[in-house]
Amino acid sequence: MPVRLELRSTGRLRKANGAAVRTVLGSLEQALTDPALDLATLRIVCDWVQYKNNFREPVTQRPILDGDDRERVEIAIDLRRASVEQAPAEGNAEPVVLEPWGPMSASLVWSFNALYWKALGLWEALSGRTYEETLPGGESDARNADGARESILRLFRVWDGLAARRALPDQLHVLELGVGNGNQARVWLDTFRAVDRELGRDYYRRLHYLLGDYSRHLLELARGRLGRHADHISTLVLDALRPSTTLGFLRYKLFFVYISNTYDNLPTDEIARIDGRLYAVETRAVISAERAATLGVPSGELPELIRRLLRLGPELLAEAEPQRFPDRLDAVRFWAAVWDVLGLEERYVPLPPLDEYVIAPGVHGDALRSLVEGAGDVRMHVSNGAAASFLDTLPLLHPHGSLECHDLFVTALEQYDHSFRGPGKYDGSVVNWVNGSVLAAIGRRRGFQVAFRKFAHRAGSNITTMTAEVRE
Amino acid sequence: MTGLLLPTTVVGSYSVPDWLERAKDEFYQRRIGRATLADIHETAIKAAIKDQERAGIDIVSDGELRRDNDVDYFLERIAGVELPAPVKEHYFDYHTAVVREPLAPAEAVAMGLVDDFLFTRAQTIRPVKFSFTGPFSLAKRICNEGYARADDLVFDIAAILNREARVLSAAGATLLQIDEPFLAGYPEQAALAVKAVNAVVDGVQAEWALHICYGNRHARPSWLGHYDFLFPAILDARVDQLLLEFARKGDDDLALFERYRPPFKLGLGVIDVKNEAVEEPELVAARIDRALTVLDPSHLSINPDCGLRHLPARTALAKLRAMTAGAALVRSRYM
Repeated sequence: MPVRLELRSTGRLRKANGAAVRTVLGSLEQALTDPALDLATLRIVCDWVQYKNNFREPVTQRPILDGDDRERVEIAIDLRRASVEQAPAEGNAEPVVLEPWGPMSASLVWSFNALYWKALGLWEALSGRTYEETLPGGESDARNADGARESILRLFRVWDGLAARRALPDQLHVLELGVGNGNQARVWLDTFRAVDRELGRDYYRRLHYLLGDYSRHLLELARGRLGRHADHISTLVLDALRPSTTLGFLRYKLFFVYISNTYDNLPTDEIARIDGRLYAVETRAVISAERAATLGVPSGELPELIRRLLRLGPELLAEAEPQRFPDRLDAVRFWAAVWDVLGLEERYVPLPPLDEYVIAPGVHGDALRSLVEGAGDVRMHVSNGAAASFLDTLPLLHPHGSLECHDLFVTALEQYDHSFRGPGKYDGSVVNWVNGSVLAAIGRRRGFQVAFRKFAHRAGSNITTMTAEVRE
Repeated sequence: MTGLLLPTTVVGSYSVPDWLERAKDEFYQRRIGRATLADIHETAIKAAIKDQERAGIDIVSDGELRRDNDVDYFLERIAGVELPAPVKEHYFDYHTAVVREPLAPAEAVAMGLVDDFLFTRAQTIRPVKFSFTGPFSLAKRICNEGYARADDLVFDIAAILNREARVLSAAGATLLQIDEPFLAGYPEQAALAVKAVNAVVDGVQAEWALHICYGNRHARPSWLGHYDFLFPAILDARVDQLLLEFARKGDDDLALFERYRPPFKLGLGVIDVKNEAVEEPELVAARIDRALTVLDPSHLSINPDCGLRHLPARTALAKLRAMTAGAALVRSRYM
């Protein structure tokens, strides 16, 4: 009976840490000789999880539920950690379970994610670092004047064409969705004004730059950095999943939408094709008994306390539980500690028929059909949140408008075979690479040409530029 | 043609269900054959007509459900138009179409649209409107390698459509409609488009409608603007009514009808086909009332802004019901 072994992150085998990987594989080979193992029910996948903070144990079991008597199991190994960490000893106490099984997009990890953006100021106060300082390289690729100039010149060409036909409106609207700390907007607006002066178009006078973000803290920060453009900006608290609910008045009016490092931070499901059958990956948030003991709260009280934290936020939690959290930073400290030890268990359940699976409001899984039918076995993100945001933004675009997005994109499904694409923990937020193929497929059905190219203005960046423009 | 005050009609297309989209895609992927797809189309058309009847629409259409989009169905029926890649990934995509030499004389080109009309007429006792895309827009989707003057291609297509219209008229079609979905993108060519329209209608015994909108590809406008670009050229169009969109754009352009007093009726768009929110009948009535401040009721017919193809079937039906209810509210004041 063959054992199915999927070895992803193959590039690592050839790198310096290849020896460590081979050590893990050697142990695995030895373990598989155990005659007690039923190899027919076993599947082994090896990833190299590059996120130092993530939701996984070095070695985990994932049941594969087929709705019949078969009991198959996937053993998932994180090659990076399995080579240096001991697997948990057998007979460990049960973990503290924080939620029932469900699709990952419904997991409470997204409540932690939302809390991070909502209470970012408190988080930064505890960590002593701004969120941008936590990014690799210390700054976002969005702050790049060359990239900004390129997109602005493209915009000017569109406007020039419309102006020649007397079809250019008086007000020229641009939206930035997910504003970071405002540096991107400052670079873009500075560059815009310079290009406008250089070309003598007088478009800056007509420009209205809207900054939309879930975090009021970030919007305030951004506004503070854009003083010199104050007459041309508006800040709006909005949900990136549903920008139209706030910006419906701009339907067909936005000439340019810029989105940076937002989609990778929105809820997603994962689906898998295993032996030709489609499965949904279900998760549940847990904290191992060993780690729960470090939190200073009786295990039995943890789930409710965490629910209160997510519902109230650290500030109100400290007010509600002054004995436990004398200071609001104590509550933030608890939040950070829980986040640090939070894990996800996974299992596979049969995926409903694709036309019953909802990717995002108004889009069902049929849009995935050509992707999953064209691929072999694969496990991939559906990027539901990114899809919802993308689809809800497109109606805002002017017929000659475009959307540009800088983010971590998977642009071909085979890329899932080569690297781990999330979820990981990024400071206090969740990060998953965005399945660009899904966005391209659904964008195409909405009449948009979606294209990807490597971010051209910084060598070695993981960032990909996605553009969406109306196609005929 | 119905003798009714404020008659209601559709622009042409009706809701395309997901299953029909899948079937059309599967045809291109060679999973189902032409005969099966034709069967599916006929069933869908019967349902579309039934929905229009249930909604109380006075003049119905076949929902244009056989057509992949507003262009390909016609271009693939014109001899001399080449489709270098006839298989599409998604049925709604446009074919690439090329004309390498002047088209054959119109007498030699039969597009066969009359069969579609006869099928529709057999399904209903209500008056039927038959629409097709006009020569200006069809020419815009062709890569012209065969004509030194692009206008000549437009007029050769017009001649072919004229011949087709004569066949339709002879078969009993009494209300024909030309759609020019691309004209708003080329406002400076309105006069050319009008001349071509006149070439299509020339000598054809039928009531003629002309529909011009700002595009409805994927339920999005392709251009933004106002209908002032049509005037005064449109006044020369030998049509009986002009169907325009007003629900989405607002009624600023009604002033054009007040100013120019065109000889044709206005087909007033009162239903926004790019928005799934269903209008209240009172809102429809208010839109009609505003038009009545400019036009006599005998110069008005009531329709959606454009085709309903991108709306879910239930929404399309609900919108048509709201439209007929709104028209009835206004009509009752004249009874």
